[in-house]
Parts: sequence; C-alpha cells; structure tokens
Amino acid sequence: MRKNPSLRCLLALAILCLTSLVHSQEIGSPGDPQNLKCVTHNLRRMVCTWDVSSRRRHGQTDFCYTTNDHPLTECFKTKEKRVEIPVPESSTTIKITTNSISGTPFATREFEIRKKDISFIPLAPHILSLTPDFPTSTLTLKWSDNGSIFPYGLDAFWQIEILRKETMEKVTEVTYYSKLTHEDIILSWNWTSDMPLECTSHYVKIRCFINITQFVGHKDWSDWSPVEVSPGKDTEPHGSGVFPQDTVVAVGSDVTICCVHEEGQQIKRMTYGPEVYPLIRLSSRSSAIRVLNASASDTSGTNVVCSLSEDGMDGTVLFVGYAPDIPQNLSCETSNFELIKCTWKPGRPSGLYGKRGTKYSLFERISGKNVSCEVNEMNKERVCGFPVLGDQKTYNFLLGVSNPIGQTEASLLVDISQRVHPKTPEKLTVSGNSSTSVHLRWFINGSFAEIRLLCQIEISNGHSEQKLHNVSMPGGKSSTYTAQLNTLHPYTKYWFRVRCSAADHFWRWSDWSRIEEHTTLEAPPARGPDIWRERSPSGKSLKIFWKPLSLSEANGKIVSHEVSCYLLEKPLEYKEVTEPSNSTEIKLGRNDCVVSVVAKNHAGSSPPSRITTVELPSDNVKTDRAVAMGNGIYISWNSYPNMTCGYIVKWCHSSGSEPCSVDWQKFPSNTTDAVIKSALFRPGVRYNFSLYGCKSSGYQLLKNITGYTKELPPKRAPNFTVEETSSDSILVKWEDMPIEDCQGFLEGYRLSFAKGEKDALKPRLLESGNPELKVKNITDLTKKSLKILDLQGKTSYQLDLQAYTAGGLSPPNSLYVVTKEDSVGLIIAILIPVAVVVLLGVVASIFCYRKREWIKETFYPEIPNPENSKALQFQKNICEGNKTLKTLEMNPCTPNSVEVVETRSAAPKIEDTEMMSPAADTVVPEDGSDSETENHVVVSYCPPIIEEEISNPPMDESVGSSQVVYIDIQSMYQPQIKPEEESEIDLVTTAGYKPQMQLPISALKIESRSPAEEESDKTAGYRPQANTNAWNMDTPDSPGSVESNNENASFGSPCSINSRQFLLPPKDDEDSPKPSNIGWSFTHFFQNKPND
Amino acid sequence: MWECHGAPRGDGRRGSPGRGAGEGRGGGEAGRPSPRGVGAGLGGIPAGSLKSPLSHPRPPPPTGVVPFVALLLLQRRPVAGRALLVNGPGCPGNSLCRANVHEQTRKQVALLNATAQDLFSLYLKCQGEPFSSESEKLCNPGGIFFPAFHVNRTSEKKEVMVAMYKLFAFLNASLGNITRDQEELNPTAKELLDRLHNTTKTTRGLISNLTCLLCKNYNVFQVDVSYGESSKGKSTFKKKQQGCQVLRKYVQVIAQAARILLPHLSPA
Repeated sequence: MRKNPSLRCLLALAILCLTSLVHSQEIGSPGDPQNLKCVTHNLRRMVCTWDVSSRRRHGQTDFCYTTNDHPLTECFKTKEKRVEIPVPESSTTIKITTNSISGTPFATREFEIRKKDISFIPLAPHILSLTPDFPTSTLTLKWSDNGSIFPYGLDAFWQIEILRKETMEKVTEVTYYSKLTHEDIILSWNWTSDMPLECTSHYVKIRCFINITQFVGHKDWSDWSPVEVSPGKDTEPHGSGVFPQDTVVAVGSDVTICCVHEEGQQIKRMTYGPEVYPLIRLSSRSSAIRVLNASASDTSGTNVVCSLSEDGMDGTVLFVGYAPDIPQNLSCETSNFELIKCTWKPGRPSGLYGKRGTKYSLFERISGKNVSCEVNEMNKERVCGFPVLGDQKTYNFLLGVSNPIGQTEASLLVDISQRVHPKTPEKLTVSGNSSTSVHLRWFINGSFAEIRLLCQIEISNGHSEQKLHNVSMPGGKSSTYTAQLNTLHPYTKYWFRVRCSAADHFWRWSDWSRIEEHTTLEAPPARGPDIWRERSPSGKSLKIFWKPLSLSEANGKIVSHEVSCYLLEKPLEYKEVTEPSNSTEIKLGRNDCVVSVVAKNHAGSSPPSRITTVELPSDNVKTDRAVAMGNGIYISWNSYPNMTCGYIVKWCHSSGSEPCSVDWQKFPSNTTDAVIKSALFRPGVRYNFSLYGCKSSGYQLLKNITGYTKELPPKRAPNFTVEETSSDSILVKWEDMPIEDCQGFLEGYRLSFAKGEKDALKPRLLESGNPELKVKNITDLTKKSLKILDLQGKTSYQLDLQAYTAGGLSPPNSLYVVTKEDSVGLIIAILIPVAVVVLLGVVASIFCYRKREWIKETFYPEIPNPENSKALQFQKNICEGNKTLKTLEMNPCTPNSVEVVETRSAAPKIEDTEMMSPAADTVVPEDGSDSETENHVVVSYCPPIIEEEISNPPMDESVGSSQVVYIDIQSMYQPQIKPEEESEIDLVTTAGYKPQMQLPISALKIESRSPAEEESDKTAGYRPQANTNAWNMDTPDSPGSVESNNENASFGSPCSINSRQFLLPPKDDEDSPKPSNIGWSFTHFFQNKPND
Repeated sequence: MWECHGAPRGDGRRGSPGRGAGEGRGGGEAGRPSPRGVGAGLGGIPAGSLKSPLSHPRPPPPTGVVPFVALLLLQRRPVAGRALLVNGPGCPGNSLCRANVHEQTRKQVALLNATAQDLFSLYLKCQGEPFSSESEKLCNPGGIFFPAFHVNRTSEKKEVMVAMYKLFAFLNASLGNITRDQEELNPTAKELLDRLHNTTKTTRGLISNLTCLLCKNYNVFQVDVSYGESSKGKSTFKKKQQGCQVLRKYVQVIAQAARILLPHLSPA
C-alpha cells in the first residue's frame, strides 16, 4: 500500500466521502433533524423541509444557512419544519438546531445542500375558465402559464385530462406545449367532444412541466390543478332534451346522440331515422346512442326520437351531408363592361339546404374586393356578379365555397376585355330605297368603348342559302350600330338578323336579334326573254313565243312584253302583250322580218331579244328515234359546219284537249347532242322534236326526232276479228293502234291460242299454264292478219292478241272461235260401226240357224218330273226337325222379298228354299249350318197383295216371312267370299230380284260393272229352265231339278214352291197391287228380261 | 302515395283558393301582427281581431294569446276576400259583402276540408321517419294551444261565426309559420309548399268573408284572437312537431267546422 500512491489517494477520497455523509445524514441521535429536502417552484427560492427523528417535544428550531456566494450566515428561528430560502448559486450550508421547549438546544445538525440536490416542481396551474360550447360540443380551457416567474424561453408542457360522467371516467389526456415568455400568458385550449356536452358532465384538470435545461436538479410535473367541471343537462333539475340539436355532420361520421330526461322517467327506446339503436347509459338521467358511419340524410334531416315512459317523446334532427364540392367550369365574362358575371357548376350536391346550404363568395385578389353570392340552390348552374372596377382589366377571382361541414375554393385569372359576351342586339331596323342595298341599325346595351365589335348579319331570302356578312365597328357606350349591305338582288324579300361579339378577342357571340324583313326595290330585267317563232301552216301569220324570265333575271314583276317586227330597221308590227301570256301572233303575210321582244317591269325594260322569221328550205328531213336517258330524252345530230349561230331543238307539250305548248332549247354551234329535260315530260308519251340549225340568213329544219322519256306497255291490245274459219284454220285480222295507246315504240304483236271455251270462271289463257298454248309472235308491224293452221275441227279455241313495246306487253284482247265440223270424218265414223253391227248380226243369225238343235238342247231341255227331282229331297233337310213340309202345301203367301242363299261350301249341298222373315234372317240356323258359309242375296220384291193371304197371315214362321229364299246351286261351287264382301253383295242384291241365271262371280263384281250391265240386272227376271212349250201356265209351282254335279244343269229352278204366283210380275204390273198372273209364264219371262 | 320532393302533381285540387282569397303570404309569426299581413288585407291575420260591441270582457288568454284590436276589413269590390283595412271604429255601411259571400264561404270551408287530410299526409311524408309511422304520438296535439271550438249545429249563428273567425285566424297564422319553417327545411318539397301556400291563401280569403259576415250581420268588428306559440327559435325537431300537431288538429277541426258551418251558410 505504501508503495502505491494512487491507492492511497483513493483511500483518502473514500474517507472524505464518508465524512460528508455523516454530516448530511441523520446521525440517529434523538431530536436530530433529518431528511432535509429542498424544492423550488420558481428557481429563485426554495422550500426546505425536514423531519425530527424524536417524538420528544421540542421548541423553536434555529435555522442558519450560509451560501458559498454570500459569506454571511443567515439565521432565524422557526417553529415549523419548513423554511423558504433563496436558491443558491452552487450550494448552501444549513445548520439546524433543535431546541427544547425551554430553549435548550439538544440537537444540531448541519447540511450542505448543493444545487443538484434541489428539486424543481412548478406550482399546479390554475384553470381560469372552462367554457362549453354546446352547439359544437367544444370545451374551451383557459389558464395562465405564470411565465413571469421563469426565465424567458422555457419550454412548458401542459398535461390536460378530460373526464366524463359521474364516475369521472377518463376520456382523453393531451399534452399542450407552450414557451414561457417571462410574462404571464393566458393559454387557451379547445377540445371537441365526440359526445354532446349536454349529455353528461365533463371534467378537466391540468398540470405542467417546465423544461429548464440549466437546472441540474431533479425536475418534475406539477401537481394537478383542481378539477373544473362542465355540467351536463342531466345535472340540471329540469334539464331534458335530445342532443345535439340541429347538428350538421359529414357523411360517414360517427355521431353520439343522447337523451336527457327528468328524474323518474325512463327511456324506452331511441331511434335514428326509422332504426332503433342500443342505449348507452351515461347517468341516471341520460342515455346515448352511437351512430357509426352516418349516411346522407333527407332534405329535412334525419330525425332522432327518444321515446320516454308515459308516451313522452322528444327528439332532434341531424343533418348529414357532404362538404362542398370544388366548383367546376368556373367562367367569368361581361356583357356590358359594367358587371362581370361568373358562372360555375356546383358539382356534387352537399345534401344540405336552407341555412345549412352552401355559401359562395367571390374574392378578387388584386383589388381585395369581396362579394357574397346569392345563388339559387335549385339551379344547376350558379351565377355570381362582380362589378367591373375602374381601369382594371385583369381580375384574379377566388370563389370561396363553404358549408357547415367544410369549405373549398376555385380560382380564375381573367382579362375581362377578352371575355366579352355582348347582350342580344335590340331594335333592329332595316331601311333602304335601292334595289341592291339596305341599311341596318341595331342597339346593344353596354359599354364597349374600349373594344371593337364584330357583328355578323345573317341574310336569307328563302331561295338561296343563308349568307353571313361580317362587319367590324368600334364599340360605344350603349350605342346604336349601323351597317350597309350591298349586292342584293332587286325585288327580293330578305330576312336579316344580327349578333355581335368582341372583334379582337373573340369569346362568344351574343344571341341573335329578332328577324327583320325587307324587300328590295325593282330593277329593269337583266336580259331579254328567250324567244322562238313559228309560222302558221298557211304561212300568213307568225306566232312568237317567249319564255318567262327567272326571278333573278326579271328583277321585279314582269308586267308586259313588247313584240315588234322590223324589216330593215323599219317597224312593221308592234304589240304589247301583258302578262301572263307568253306568245303572240302577228300577221306578216309572206314577208319576213326580224322579231324583237322586250320584257318590261315597273323599273324598266330588258334588252331586246331578236329572231329572224326566215325559214330556210330543207331537203330529205329524216325522222329519228331518240333514246330515253334518265328523266330526259337524248338526241344527237351531226355537226353542220354552216350552222353558225347554233341549234334549236323545239318540241311541243300537249296536255289533253288544249293545243300543245311550244318549248325549245338553244345550243351552241359546236354541240352535237343534248339531253332534253322538262318537268312536263311524262313517261309513255311520245314527244316529237325538231332540230333547227341557225344561220345568219335564217333557221333551217335539219331533222325530226321522236322519243319517249320512258316507254310503257301499250294501254290496250289492238282490236282484232276473225275473218275466216275452217275445220282446221282461223284467219284473224287486227287494226292499227293509236300512237297515244302505244305508250312506246310498237315492236310487234303476240297471238296466243289454245283450245278453250268461253267461261268467265276459267283463268285467262296466258295465265292458265295450258300446255297446248301456242304463241305466234308477229314482229312485222305491217302485217295486219294471220292464219292459224293445224286446228281441230268443231273445236272451240281461245285467241289472245297483245301488242308490245320495249316497256312490255299490253293487256290481251280475247276471242273464242269454234272451228267448222269435218263432215267426211263424221260420215265414216257413223258408217263403220253400223256396218260392223250388221255384219255381226248376219253372222249370228247364220250361226243360230245352223246350230238351232244344239241350242235347244242346251238352253231349253226337257223339264224332268218334279217327283224325281232332288230339289225336293233337300227340302227335307231344311225342314227336318219340328218343321213340317208346309212349303209343299201351296198355301197362299205374301212374300215381299226374295232371298237367294248362295252356299259356298265346297261340298255339294242342297238346301231347300223357304219363306223367311227378316227377323228369322238374323237368327242362327237351328240346324247348325254355318251361316258364314252362306251368301244371302236378298232381292227386294213387291208382291201382289192377295186378300186371301192377308186374312191368314200367321200360318207359319217361314210362310209369314216376307222373303223368298233361293238357293243358287251354282254358287255352291264358287269360292267362298269374304264376309265384308257379303254385306256389299247383300246390299246390292236387295235392290231387286235376283235372276237365277246370274253367275255368282257376277254378283261379286257387281259394283264394277258398267251401268248398262246394272241396268240389265235390274231388268233381269226369271229365266226359263226349259222349253216354254213344256210349261204349264196353270201350274203355280215351278218344278226344277238340280244336278249338283252337273255344271250345265246348275241353273236352278225357282224354289218359291210355296208360291202360287210368278215371282216377277209383268213389268206393266210391277206396282199393281193386284196379281195379274197366278203362275209362271215364259212370255212374261221374256217380257221382263228381253235382253236375256 | 305522395312524393315529397320534386315537381308538384297536377291533381287539379291545387291552385286557386277561389275568389275571396287575399294575395300575399299568410301568417307571419303567430302572436304578433304581421305588417305584411296588414298591408295585404287580411293576409297574415295574426293581426286580426274583430271587436263586437256585444261581446263581454274575456279572461286573459293562455300563453301565446295576444289580443289584437280590430282590423276591420272592407271589400273594395264586392268580391269576397278582396278586403281592405278600415281604420274606423265600427262596421261600414252598405256594400260590405257581395251577394254570394255565403256560397263562397261555404265553398272555401269545403275546399279546406277536402284538402286538409292530403296536406297533413304530405307534411308527414316530408318530415321523414318516424313522423309518418308514429304520427299518433309525435303529432298528438294535446300539448299545444288550439282555439276552443265548442260550437255545434244548435249554436247560434253568431257564436259559430265568431268561433270560426278565431279558428281560421289562428290557422292562418300557424300555416304561415309552418310554411316559413318548411321553406327553410324542405326547399325542394314543391308540392308541400304549394299546398301550404294555397291553404294559407284560402284561409285568408275565408277570414275576409267571415269578417264581412260578422260585420254585416252582427255588427261585430272586433274579436279577440289567440295564437299559438311561435316556432321561431325552436329546434328543427320542435318545428316539425309543432307543425305536425297543428295540422293534425286542423284536420280534425276543419271537418267539424265544415259540418257546423255549412248548414248556417246554406242558402235559406
């Protein structure tokens, strides 16, 4: 240690520190002062406090201090343990002696207070005022910074705490900064509450921290100031209401609305618009709702209603809108250099109206002048006026826009002399006493002395396009302006109107003035009329034509034309023709002259138009056809070099019965073609043009041209007649057609013919599509007849004749002609069949004569004995059983029909015939015979009524039947027919009596037979089975035998063996109710069926 | 049903209040004489009170009731409602009323009765919810002043006329207040504003005719009229509510008035 001097130094320092510590700290002896603390609030003086360790009562304390910068020790006695002494520059030595009550010191303690041991704590700030602003929910806090006691320029920090509700919940804490200026400054701080201040009480307290960097001791926040309160309505005895009242907030804001009610009431619900919101309790008399992201309200705001108990209701209106939009299209102009009118579009509507609506003000930066704008919220465009200021031309406008939510602005720098939009010219008048010029006057309200005006005059006359005439003039102050317009047309009605703008810096035209009308005066016609002349056919008079002058040439109303005729400058004839005539006739005899025509109006006469009457002779004048072109007619001609003064094409318009009006067109001598157009040209009308050449000596007809503007189909077909008819030809002739009916150049005729008879219902020949239609085209227009050959005799033909042009076919003209009969053919057609028939008859007669024996054997054999006939045997089969053979008893019966049963069984079978009733016909046969194998042929039959039979009707079932049943034995060998065919046959066969000779096959095909055959069937009757000589006329029965295996003998005899009459009466007696015969008769048979 | 904002409907029921309606805007602030009303004849008759030499002294009116002395209105022409202010002590002599004043008054009451419900419905619509849905509570007229109308068909004609005068003088002032509030609050509600204007005009014409009848038939030229509380200075919600309450009561009373007044005005 001795060897280390630094160690010794450290040890000495430690001892020194320990000594110092012993001096400054409580020694621990009873009555010793201890815990000396010194705090300064203003950096000049400090408050030192200490404790006394003993509880022993002591008296006054002697307090002495000595500062190192002030060698004198200051001592004083104090009964407190607190003294205020100056803050030392560096340190202070303090000696505190505690005395007993009797004044005896019993403890002394010395402290050394250095500057770093002193704490700096400012005094608690004092709130001067706390002012609530309820409409804006803003608290304004005011306090003094006490800066006078501190050095200049200290940083001061103020901590402000806001508390709310009865429970003093901390709402927010903010730190406010200020700089002390060595003066007492009253500081102010605003705080806007998110809750209306009426809703509940708000509390504020404040403390400060002064940041003095030179002070080395401990620095700390001051104590909190006493709490200042802004009482809510709920603290007032009868305070109630819904808050905030009539507040304007921005769309999207979060809003708290509270309902304060009186004691004893309860809030049932709170609604924001139509919606109910949850309540937030603030106090016993106040609750709130919180609306987040509020949407734009209606024009009249959003109602917030607080429903209280006992049907009490209170409410408020919240206006939710937008801050004003930036004005768009701000534009300023002047119309009179007295007022600047600025217009703009407001952009997005704020949704706020009335006193909450957007306010506008116009501030001019250069002059510093500000005007408030009265705008109509309902207009889309806003207007604000600013007065023109003296000599100021440039204006720097700032349009300020504000509403309760926000504000914005737009600016515009404008040279007003370049933004001139004059007002509408007024009092326009037009005057003038000239035919080509007028004088216009108008008035514009406004001071335009500084600028030139450019005015535009619109001139229109109803004929040509509108013309604009610009005129520049110096501006004036509310002046009348004039302009002269020249080069107008005489005698023309004009309409004028005017608008103006600035000439040098065009900005906008004014509106047009009202239209003023003026008609210029007349002037002499500009030229003479276009004239032509024509000699009368007699050549003694001359007709002169002229065309009316156009409006632009007439220069007024033409009142007359002077026509004169000169021969070598000597007037021969003079006429004045008043309007509206456009021709006149003068009598010249055979003389020629030069005709002069002058048009006259009220202002004077036109230059004369002259034409010579000399007509040069022409040879070989041809007539050509013209070609239609567009809506005109194209004509062309060869060049005639000697025609020195041009060509004239003349034509004539005719309309109905009036004489045609001459028209013409002149062409220069180098022209060889032209398209003649006229509004009077009509399609389908032929126009004849004459081409004249003009020589100095006169006019010469060069050629005629005829043409159509458009060819049409002829109006009608030519009339035609049949001149001659034979059995195979027809000669037709037709007439010429008038030109007016042709409507074009006729190109030919078309004759169509075909077989056909006159029938109005039939389609027309050309439309019928008749394959036999033949057409003959006649292109030779000179041909007026045509012979149609190769026709059929005694046949009706339809003939159609049409004419055609390039425009199409005319409607047809029709005739019906019957060709004559071919007599030779007819004779041949009759004679050949007759000859054939005769020949066949002769051959048949010869044949029959030679084969007479064979015929007899075949067709009329001997009739066998009925007793041996098998036909009687099968009757047993039929009538076996409970039936007796009553059919053989010859009982009278009254059959009214005959049924022929054709059995189609393959096996030979003989069945008896019996009288059957129609009812029995439907009954299944008792013998069990297959009914399907039978073919019932029922022949209607009207029997003679026999009184005897009527008296005994119900003799037997079969007898009572109205039918006679035959058995067609031959049919037994025929193929079985189908059931459906059966029914057909039944229907057919019931139509009459069924002859026995009729073959079944014929019966099957009866429907396909010819009518002649059917007729023969109808008349078919009973056929004799044998030689008629062998028959007994008195025998009612008709016995017959049937050879079932002999086809030749298959012709059955009548089976109506129970009948005593002939089945078929004579034809004469068919309908007679009386029987004419009582038995079969061969003669009757033949009478009934002569053909058979 | 009704469109609050936008162009007015052409339903044919709006328009001229009929001859007899005065010109200009009615009302003004209730409780105070409207100089405009004075200048415009009976318009804004908040001022109006006719004096009857036969009437007995009345107790002080309730809140908002301001007695107003006689503005007797004459008709320059015998057109009912085209009235002039007369600064005389009593009724003028002849030519006070036109011959058809009864018929015209009857038609005016009928017109007001016919249009009252529509006006009320449109008013509710234009105030936003929950005025339409909770009009029973919000528009309960119990808390507002409304002139007593305790007459019936058996009441004397003069009594009916006086009650009518008080009623329509009050209504005219109240309608003026409502119109003013709605012009500020609902400037885009053209239909509502038109109806309010027309109703006010008709009311004004009716007052003119009643003035004429009272003066001519009963020599009454002064009637104490009470007005309700002015809505000026109140919150928007209170303005809406007060208008709603007045109009609801108006709908009820005009129907009663029509029933009672019409027999008295029917041609004898």
